[in-house]
Amino acid sequence: MNDLCVDVGYRSLNHVGEELCGDHVELVEQEGEDSIILVLADGLGSGVKAGILSTLTARIISTMMAAGLSIEDCVETIAATLPVCSVRNVAYSTFTIIRIIRNEEAEMIQYDNPLVMMLRDGVNYEYPKTELTVGGKKVYKSKIRLRENDIFVAVSDGCIHAGVGRSLNFGWERKDVIGFLETLAPVGYTAKALANLLLEACDNLYDHQPGDDTTVCALRVRRREPMNLLFGPPTKREDNEKMMRLFFGKEGKHIVCGGTTSSIAAQYLGERVCPTLEFFDPDVPPIAEIRGVDLCTEGVITVNKVLDYAKDCLGDNKLYEKWSLGKDGASRIAQLLFEEATDINFFVGRAINPAHQNPDLPINFNIKMNLVKELSECLRRMGKRIKVSYF
Amino acid sequence: MKKITVCIGSSCHLKGSRQVVEALQDYITEHDLKDKVSLSGAFCMKNCREGVSVTVDGVLFSVTPETVGSFFETEILKKL
Repeated sequence: MNDLCVDVGYRSLNHVGEELCGDHVELVEQEGEDSIILVLADGLGSGVKAGILSTLTARIISTMMAAGLSIEDCVETIAATLPVCSVRNVAYSTFTIIRIIRNEEAEMIQYDNPLVMMLRDGVNYEYPKTELTVGGKKVYKSKIRLRENDIFVAVSDGCIHAGVGRSLNFGWERKDVIGFLETLAPVGYTAKALANLLLEACDNLYDHQPGDDTTVCALRVRRREPMNLLFGPPTKREDNEKMMRLFFGKEGKHIVCGGTTSSIAAQYLGERVCPTLEFFDPDVPPIAEIRGVDLCTEGVITVNKVLDYAKDCLGDNKLYEKWSLGKDGASRIAQLLFEEATDINFFVGRAINPAHQNPDLPINFNIKMNLVKELSECLRRMGKRIKVSYF
Repeated sequence: MKKITVCIGSSCHLKGSRQVVEALQDYITEHDLKDKVSLSGAFCMKNCREGVSVTVDGVLFSVTPETVGSFFETEILKKL
């Protein structure tokens, strides 16, 4: 076990005029093995038929591999299962499999998709691959020892064909895409941001009329980053000391949310709470500073905003620019939790603030407990390891 | 030097502490009082029911965005 982890992000563009995408990405965890399996499948053609082919392919491979079956078995099953296209008389979906084992090793199996691009220390890295013939298909297999900052980018052919006959004669070639990624790598973007940026570039080359389904999957190897968030005073006042000791004893950054909570934290540290008066976002109360605390914000209203950002981030991702650049408390928490952290410990105090139990105020106790529940669920879906302790 | 502190905790925020802070900032600039009045925030003054809580040199007042003008007149301008 090392202290690395893999950050995954992917997104697709649909062929112009299609409601369904013919590419499909499946991400599964292999229970008990501490490995994850990512499959990118590109179905023949576009629309419903391609969608079915690629979904079946990705699902079958990921499920079988997670169950420990060999790649040969997977390929045979797919060949025997996929419906045959009546127009072209073939059953066909290309695929890329990336399996990350114990955050130590990447195993890749590639069939007919553009070869996975890999950046090591920010520059292109040509990894070794061996050619196999599985069920009559030519497949490339690679095993790579992971290092911090390794970036893997798997794409469907819509990416390297972007702009064919429009803005570019031969599409966006592999070396051009690599060049594009090399300029982005040093910035330290998350996998999700990286995938979005590459996909946006494709969309622009297509003049927003993609001639093919286009999918980008990015994997980034990074060091685990623990983060701790304190929210609310404990039910029993005599537990203040214990809660603070446990919270501040944890490795990683410390975020404190809530007015009373801040003063308890400051008291424990023997410091003062120094609130600021800058309203970077009119809806979010200003932050404060406490020496020894990385970020100190107001409680319920701020965390509620963070939850809005988390939901959006998992959905349309329309607010990304707002929170990723924002200076208000909610944006800063979002930056720390969504982008920087990999392991988050919530320390939640269940004291009831009598002043908040006013029916006119949207900040009562139940709302607060739900916030924690919903936010931790969203963060889990982002791939974070979450631990919630109540006091 | 007069010291005004405005509560920016959850309750007071919902009751309009931002508007109160902004109004006070404007009045202070307008009357050129930067050297005579300091403005700062506090996270919670334990007076959530009566928000927006504001203290002037430690004395507690309840101010709303509607009353902040008259509060500034009587408690700050007249007492300088």
